[in-house]
Amino acid sequence: MIDAFTFLFTTCMLSIIVNLGISLYGVLYRPSLIKKIISLTIFSDSANITAIIIGYVRWRNPGEIAPPVLLNPSPTLEDIETFAKVAVDPLPQALVLTAIVIGLAVTLFLVFLTLQMYRFYGTTDVRRIAKLRG
Amino acid sequence: MVEASLIVLGVMALFALSSTIATYLAITERNLVKAVLYSAIQSTLYALIYYLLMAPDIVLVYVPVSVGLYPAIVLMLIKKTEKEES
Repeated sequence: MIDAFTFLFTTCMLSIIVNLGISLYGVLYRPSLIKKIISLTIFSDSANITAIIIGYVRWRNPGEIAPPVLLNPSPTLEDIETFAKVAVDPLPQALVLTAIVIGLAVTLFLVFLTLQMYRFYGTTDVRRIAKLRG
Repeated sequence: MVEASLIVLGVMALFALSSTIATYLAITERNLVKAVLYSAIQSTLYALIYYLLMAPDIVLVYVPVSVGLYPAIVLMLIKKTEKEES
């Protein structure tokens, strides 16, 4: 018998994985370049949230869980022990924070590439761009 | 009696399922402006999931970048190029 925690957590994880699949379909098979940019952003966001879910250590301490923030500015030993027991993993959060900002820069680069492609070719449809000669 | 953490996890699963619907609508929509709006809805749901996953610092970065700045940039691109996907 599967308990409610596992069921809801698996539902959340499966939704994110389905999101990854749908957005990968959008990147590969939709003809418009703007739709490809939108799909790529959804894909990177889904990958980021997968990393955060892996860092959410529900299996280690199922009772209480807290953000990785130390409230006491000069922590004692008991504070650090409670922090290590209760807090989620802060390493994926730091990585995802960097990845979001880098993703914004990459999206801006792709947006200006698409704009230049529209100015040169007069379309953002990759099927029509592939048929152009010369 | 249902525990509070179970309710939080249920709300998180609900947000994740809604974000799947929003992603499907954003990918299959022909009108690009509507697709960007569905993508913004999906980003809002992801921000709520980040908050429930105990990552408040990521919410502070993710909301201005992915709900505010990114749809504005893509809407400017759509205004300069095509509004419909053929």
